[in-house]
Parts: sequence; C-alpha cells; structure tokens
Amino acid sequence: MPNASSTLAAPERAATAATPTDRSRRRKIATVVALIVAAVVVGIFPAAAPNAYILSAGVVILSYACTATSWNFMGGFTGYISLGHAAWFGLGAYGTGILVRDLGLPSFVAWALAGVVVAIITVPIGIAALRVRGASFVIVSIAFVLILLLVFQGWGSFTGGSNGLVVPRPFPDLMRPVHHQVFFYLFAALLAAMLVLWWAINRSRFGIGLKAIREDEDKAEALGIPTRNYKLVAYIISATFTGLAGGMYALWFGDLDPIFQFSILLGSYMVLMALLGGIRHLLGPLVGAIIVGIGLEVFKLQFGDTQFHLVATGLLLALVVLFMPDGIIPALQAGIKRFGPQSSSIREMTAGELAERNRAAGVSGASVFAGRKAEREGVENEDATTPTEEEKR
Amino acid sequence: MLTLSACADGGGGSGGGDGDGGSDDPIVIGISLPLTGDFSEPGKGVQRGYEAWAQIINDDGGLLGRQVELKILDDQSNADRVVADYEVLIAQDEVDLVFGPFSTRLVVPSARVAQEYGMLFVEPAGAAAEVFEQGFDNLFYAAPAIAQDHYNYLADEILAMPEGERPTTVAVASMDDPFAQGTAYGLRDKLEEGGLEIVVDEVYPPNTTDFSPIAAKIADSGADMVIGGTQYQDAVNLIVALQQLNYQPQLAAFSTAPTNPEFSEAIGSKTEGILSPTGYTPDATWPSNVDFVEKYTEIHGNPPGEDEANAYTTGQVVAAAVEAVGCAEQGDCQQQLIDWLRDNEVETVVGPLTWDETGKPQGAHLIQQYVDGAIEIVLPGETAEAELIFPKPAW
Amino acid sequence: MTGSLLLQSLILGVLLGGLYALLAAGLTLYFGVMRVVMIAHAAFLVLAAYLAWFANSRLGIDPLLTLVVTVPLFFGIGVLMQRLLIKRLRPATLTMMSVLLTFAIALFIEGLVGFVWGGTQRRIQLSYSSASIEIFGARIAVVKLIAFGLAALSLLALYLLMKHTRFGQALRATIQHPEAAQLVGIKTEGVAGLGFGLGLATAALGGTALSLDATIYPSLHWHWIGPLMAIIVVGGLGSIPGAAIAALVLGVGQSLLQVPLGTTWAQTIFYVALFVTLMVRPQGFFGGRLAQRF
Repeated sequence: MPNASSTLAAPERAATAATPTDRSRRRKIATVVALIVAAVVVGIFPAAAPNAYILSAGVVILSYACTATSWNFMGGFTGYISLGHAAWFGLGAYGTGILVRDLGLPSFVAWALAGVVVAIITVPIGIAALRVRGASFVIVSIAFVLILLLVFQGWGSFTGGSNGLVVPRPFPDLMRPVHHQVFFYLFAALLAAMLVLWWAINRSRFGIGLKAIREDEDKAEALGIPTRNYKLVAYIISATFTGLAGGMYALWFGDLDPIFQFSILLGSYMVLMALLGGIRHLLGPLVGAIIVGIGLEVFKLQFGDTQFHLVATGLLLALVVLFMPDGIIPALQAGIKRFGPQSSSIREMTAGELAERNRAAGVSGASVFAGRKAEREGVENEDATTPTEEEKR
Repeated sequence: MLTLSACADGGGGSGGGDGDGGSDDPIVIGISLPLTGDFSEPGKGVQRGYEAWAQIINDDGGLLGRQVELKILDDQSNADRVVADYEVLIAQDEVDLVFGPFSTRLVVPSARVAQEYGMLFVEPAGAAAEVFEQGFDNLFYAAPAIAQDHYNYLADEILAMPEGERPTTVAVASMDDPFAQGTAYGLRDKLEEGGLEIVVDEVYPPNTTDFSPIAAKIADSGADMVIGGTQYQDAVNLIVALQQLNYQPQLAAFSTAPTNPEFSEAIGSKTEGILSPTGYTPDATWPSNVDFVEKYTEIHGNPPGEDEANAYTTGQVVAAAVEAVGCAEQGDCQQQLIDWLRDNEVETVVGPLTWDETGKPQGAHLIQQYVDGAIEIVLPGETAEAELIFPKPAW
Repeated sequence: MTGSLLLQSLILGVLLGGLYALLAAGLTLYFGVMRVVMIAHAAFLVLAAYLAWFANSRLGIDPLLTLVVTVPLFFGIGVLMQRLLIKRLRPATLTMMSVLLTFAIALFIEGLVGFVWGGTQRRIQLSYSSASIEIFGARIAVVKLIAFGLAALSLLALYLLMKHTRFGQALRATIQHPEAAQLVGIKTEGVAGLGFGLGLATAALGGTALSLDATIYPSLHWHWIGPLMAIIVVGGLGSIPGAAIAALVLGVGQSLLQVPLGTTWAQTIFYVALFVTLMVRPQGFFGGRLAQRF
C-alpha cells in the first residue's frame, strides 16, 4: 500500500513506479489466484453443497461477506470504525420490504430504490456524525442503531412494528433449495460489484485521500484534501452497499423483525470480520466473513444451548484488537515471508521503525520505496509473536 | 438444475427408505426451541411437554409401532436461528416430522420453511392473529383459541353485569409483542364496544425494566379495571409497580404470567383476585388429560403447566394424523397428514380441537383467578371450580 | 395530565437521573484519564446487579451488603484492565481500538452472565419491594429512594475525592492536560489506572442500586449504554459536572415525556439530544476543548 502523502501528488505514477519487485509481483499474483479460486468456489459451491442447509449457510456467509466488505469502504479506507452499520442493513431491508408492500414495485426495482433511499438518508446522518472524530463517531453509530430500533418498533402502522414485516418472495414458485441457489449467485454478484469498486477506489486519487485521512486527518487536511467531503462520500458508499446487502437479505429471508434487523451484534460481526481478515486488504473482509461465518454456524450447532457463542465472539474480537489489528491476511503474508528466501537486514528493520514512527506521528516525506517497505515491516511487527516490542518502545 | 435433482433425489430417496424401513427405525421429529434468550423460560416448558409426550408414547409402544425420537435444537430466541434450525432438521437431518417452536415472532419464519419444504407444521405457541394471515396451508395451532379470543368468557361476563355494578373505566398496558397485544386488545376492543371507557392505553417495548411511569399513569387515571398484555417478567414488574403506588382496581387481568408456577412467589404472594386466561387446567376431565397429568406428575413430581400442555397437545395432534394416515416421512405423506387434519377433530388434553382453513382453532380460553392464594377456574360457568370474585380484594 | 401525575413523573425522573448521573460520571472518568469510550461500562453494571441478585436469592444476603465485595473487586478489575489491556493499544489508534476492545469485553461479560445464570429475566424480591411513602400526594417506592440515596452519596464522595484530595488533584490534572501533569511530577500512568478503577467502582454501585427495583437480564446493558453515551456527549466528553447535569436533565425529560408519548418514544429523547448536540455544539454543552477532537 503506497505511502499516503508522498504519492498524493502523482497517484498514477505511484502505482506503476513502485519498482515492481518480485514481492509486489508475487503479491499481485497471489491476489489474482485468490480471486480465481474464490470465483471457482462460488461457481461450484451450490452444485457441490450436499443439502439445502449447507447451501443456506453459504448464502448467510456470502451476505456476511457483503456487509463486511461494504463496512470496509468506511472502516478500511478512513479508519472510522462504525459499530452501527446494522442500521443501514436494517434500513435497506425494511426499505425494500415496505416499497414492495406499499407501492407494489417489482422486488428488484424496490431493492435498488431502497439503496437510493439509504444513500439519501446517509447524507444528514453522515454530516452530523462526521462533525466529530473517533470516539464520538462510534457513539453516534451505535446510537443510530438504537434509535432506529425504537422507531421501527414504535411506528407499527408503517413498519409492522413487533408483528414484523413479511417481504413477498421475488420468485414465489421456486422450491426452497433453488431459491437458496438463486440468492447465492445474487449475493455473489453483489459482492463482486463491491470488490471491483473497492479495488478501483483503492487505486484512485480519492482512495489515497481517504487513506491519508486514516493515517493522519489533520495533516491530510493541511495538505488540501477536502476531508469532510471525502469522508462523507466514503460513508455514503459504505452505507448504501450495506443497505443493498440488507435489501437482498430481506428478499431472501422474507421475515423482518426490528429486534433482529437493528441489532448491535450484527454491526459488531461486520467489524469483527473486517478486522479479522484485514481492513487494508481487498479480500480481508471476505476472508474474515468466511472464518466468522463458519465459526458461528459450527459453534451454534455444537454449543447451541448456551450463550457461549457471545463469549467466543468477545474473546476473538479482543484477541484480534490486541494482537492482530491488521488482520489475518497481513499476518499470514508475514508468516510466509519469514519462510521465504529473502532476509530482513538491519536496514530494513530501521525502515520498519521509521514507518512505525511515521504512522504514529503522521506520514512525512519519506520516499515511496521506504514507505512501502515500512508498511510491510509494520505489519510484521504487529504479528502475534512480537506484541511486547511495541510496548517497550 | 443439477443441484435440484440431486437434492430431490437425496431427500425423497432416503425419506422413502426410512419410511418403509420397517418398525426398527425410530420416527425422528425435529424441533427448534428457544432454550436461551428472551423466550427461554416458556421455551423450556414446551421442551418438557414435548419430552413427556415422547416418553409417554414410547412407553405405550410408539407411533405406528415405531419408537419416537426427538431432535431439539436451540434457536436462542432468534429468527435467523430458528430458520436455520428447521433448515438443518429438514434438509440435512431429514427428520420425518417437525413440531413448532415457541413464540409468535419465531413461528411465522419457521412455518415458512416448513411450508416451502411441504412439511406439516403443528405449533404450540403462535397464537397471534397475524400467524393465520400469512396464507400458510400447512399450519395448525394446537390450542383451544387464538390470542384475540382468550378473554371471550371474561368479556361476556363483564358486559352481562348490570350497568350500575360493572366497571366503567379501563386501563390497558401491553408489551409490544403480537401475542401479548393480541390478548389485551381482544378484551379491550370488546369492552370498548360494550360501552366501557378506555382511559389509559400504553405500549411498552419488550426490554422495559422500569414500570413506574406506566404504573403512575394507570394509578393516576383511577381506572376501575386494569388489563395487562404481558408475557412474564413484565407482569411481575408492572404489578409490583402498581402495588408501590397503592392502586386498587376492581378487576385485574394479566395474560400468561399468572399461569406460571413461580408467579405467586415473584410478586410476594400479593396475588389476590388476579385474573388470567388459560388454555389448560390440569383438573380438566378429558380422558387423555387424566392420563397425561398422572404420568407427567410421575415423571416431574408436579402437574404440567400451560406450556407443557400445549406442547403435549401438539404431539397428540400430529400423532392422531399419523395413526390415521399410516405414514410418517417427508414427501407426499406430509400432504396427506395436512389434508386429514383439515377434515377431522382431534381429542386432546385441552379438549376436542378442530381448525378452519387457516389453521385457526375454533374455541375459547378458560378464565382463572387467584382465590385465597390458589388458582381456580372461574369461567365459563359449566367448568368453573369457583365463583368469579368481583370486585377483587385489595392486593 | 393532572398535577399529581406531573409531580409523580418529576420525582421519578429525578430518581432515575441520579442513577444516570452516577453511571455517566464513571464513563466520563475513563474518557478523561485515558480517552477511552468504555462500552463495557453498562455490562459491568449488569454484572454487579447479577452479583447482588445472586447474593440475595441464593445466599440470602441483603443486596446492599454485596457492595463490600463488589466495589473493591470492580476497582481492582478496572486497574488491571487499564494496566493489562488498554495500555497495550497503540496510542495512534487508541480511541478506536479501545472502543472495540471494551465492546469485546461487553460481549464477553454478557455471554458469561448468560452462561452462568441463564438468559431468563431476574428480579430481587425483597420484603419491602412494594412498600412506598407518600410525599405531597406522590408515592415513592422505598427501593427507589434507597437506590437514589446510594447514587447521590457515591456521586458526592466522588466529588469530594476529586476536589479535596491530592489524588483527586492529580486525577484532574491528568484529565486536563496529561503532558503538563507529567511535567509537574504526576505519575499519569498510575493515576490513569486508578481513575479507571474508580470508574468501574461506580458501575458496581450503580448496578447494586439498579438491582433493587428492576429486572435484570444478560443483554440489558445495551439498554443502558445508549442513553449513557448520549449523556456524556451532551454533557461534553470529559466533564463530570456536565455529565451529571445532562443526566438529570435527560432523566427528568424522559420521565415527563413518557406521559404524553409512551415508553418507546420517550426513550428517543437521548438520541435526539445526541444528534442535536452534534449539529449545534459538537463539544457538548459543558465540555471544554477536549471533546471536539475525539
């Protein structure tokens, strides 16, 4: 990942001029291979699934992947962690359901329109929430879920309240296994669209501006990045995709209930999945969603009759935050690198330290090359095996 | 396409195989229940009822000569989970029959799963009217009446009182829950039609823990009668809060909670005169009930409550259909079971049950009242164990 | 609305606001000393309430006596939490990551409480649960008065501690300007740990007060953390008096709004206040320059 401020002037060059070393090429190949494998798995999974339950679990995991990836448009690029993205999920789901119910729109038209509605609602909320940084933003995000839960419960005549809302099936004639199959592909397509957009933003000037905000918002602002507008656009993209994922879920699942749609737990799963996989990486949230999704299913089937899954979720989140804040993909890469041929010289360690300091104190004019290297070293330092080093420093 | 045929083959093939597999194979019944989470208290009651049913029927030689085996999963009171559970049970475990879960909020999503797999779905606890408006053709509610009709006997009794004696003002407070609101609003609407004045009409979210403001409003209105659309703990809290304000109504009716064995202790035994609808009484003289109460008491040391009885009733209803049709497996058999239940009456521990085309039972609930610390059935007249006490004594 | 109902609601609002004030003060302490938004605060509150319930229903001990154990215990947990967990986080991302970490702790506690005591709702049954006294035509439950008294005393003790002890001065100095405090010889690290412990001790007090007259269940803490966070933002992040005033105002507001609007809508006052504050005065109504930057 290019050093934010130094590449700002020439983003195009940064992408190509970054001395395509073996490592970066290998990394690119690895990403492409991972994408191809993922596409193949998605393609054959419905046929290979032994029964409809496994297929439905696959749909759930893909919907998790969609929410985590859309969360990552905000969380990953700008570093603004929203614990309340379930609000957008619920709005998208209810929006779709209500548009079908009240206007009689075709299911997928209602779905797209619900996405637009979510985008419009995001604007004022985003402006209010982004007036403050960090902690207050998190508070607002949680508060927004709680307020929507109250509104959707209280406003029964419009939302169905606690009676829930039944979303008509888009394909009423399909048997259940085929229904799952169709939605498996629909979710996969939605995910693919998100991944392409993420990839494009990641390479764009806009994306670099967002990442500069993540590293040091004050400096980014001083450098002339319109931070507020950038953040707002990222927030809108993130919320809209979360809403679209919610709408898709509504069409698939069919029954909405405020308690289950506007749940803090759902928002926390998004954060956990994205962080676990790695918020700086394109496929991070997807990897996290697969791990967490499978983990949740297995856990609930094994220890179903206790609240133990909450304990496990809490522990996992704490471990990720404490020891692996950059996620599993960077940690794995670092692990693989350690067994690889290249060695880390003293100089590189210094570069790593430099980058670490840079990141803490805001990026300065370090060279693109050093920045890149430093990024990687920083990742290595945060690996679970060396958590104390940082403290000593 | 490939998957479809594979799935159909798998399901049909092994289902058929199991079904014809002779009397050695047990009949496996899949159930998802809220054993943890918001509905866990009644969920465990339903579990006891199901397990008692399986034990009793197995001791009797089983169903169609085969032993019955229950497979119970925990849905954590969560709609996503309940759907996944029935998906597991029907598609992966290929159970022969399914029974319903607890609570209206969970019944609708799970009934849809069963519907889309073509399974018969008899449920012990989805009493709200909404359940029967979803167009399910596989659903049957195994209890005497839906929520709106729970208080019918009480409404009739109040409206039959002479003008000067009967209560004139009513305060209503209900949990924001389809079942709780169903019971309370059924009574409220009938009384309002009969000319009583509704002076307070409050709704509170399920997570409410502080009932003092609601109680203050009710006490301030001085209503002659209070109706609580309650589940369990909220009733306890509301009653304690009303007692803190020293509010003394002439009639007090609360759903569900007063039928719970721990209710009396929870409000410090100040239960005098509290009314509640109940679909079940252990003292009922239906032939199967005498048997059920005796055997259940043998197993658990105490007579069954309403949740246990409803679960047991579910078992009885499905068993009657299975015995009559002569099959218990996935596939065509399920439709035969559904068709049979549409046209026939089933003898159960809550009396004979029949259903309309939406699966709604055609009956009404009994009304119970706490009299000198004991629960007595006071309405309707023909099954009453004691006289309705009006106005109720101070609590 | 009759006069007596108004008075009744007003009194209930003050009683509720007192508890909110104590809990919000704790939340403000963490933020002040560490810049940490402690999501798990309400989870510890529920844990303390469960301990009080357990002691009462299983061991027959009066819930108030559990304070002798829970207050020091929670203080110790708070200090350890700061030393072992919060301090490990990188300063650059401390605020965000601490939210996640304390969120994880909240989930952990919720799961543990549910695992040990089950998901059912619990309530302490005391001989004086339904007793009340009458003041000017309003009836006040004895248990509510005890809870309010406990909260008010704790808040007073906290105030005296902050204002009139050396430790309190060090704590306030750390809150206002950590670097300057270090320069004048205050060991801010140690002070921060103790401040954290103090914050958690308020959760023990609040939880016990709560358990006297409310139902408890494992996921109850979500019900509390929203209003509490709104209170500290409205009051101004880092300002204890601000939090206390906002708590009382919003508590009374909620109680009064409940009469015309009903329970569900009355709860939204906290979130409306939160959004209005952010639009009009993001640093809060009583906060200093601290608030806007976090």
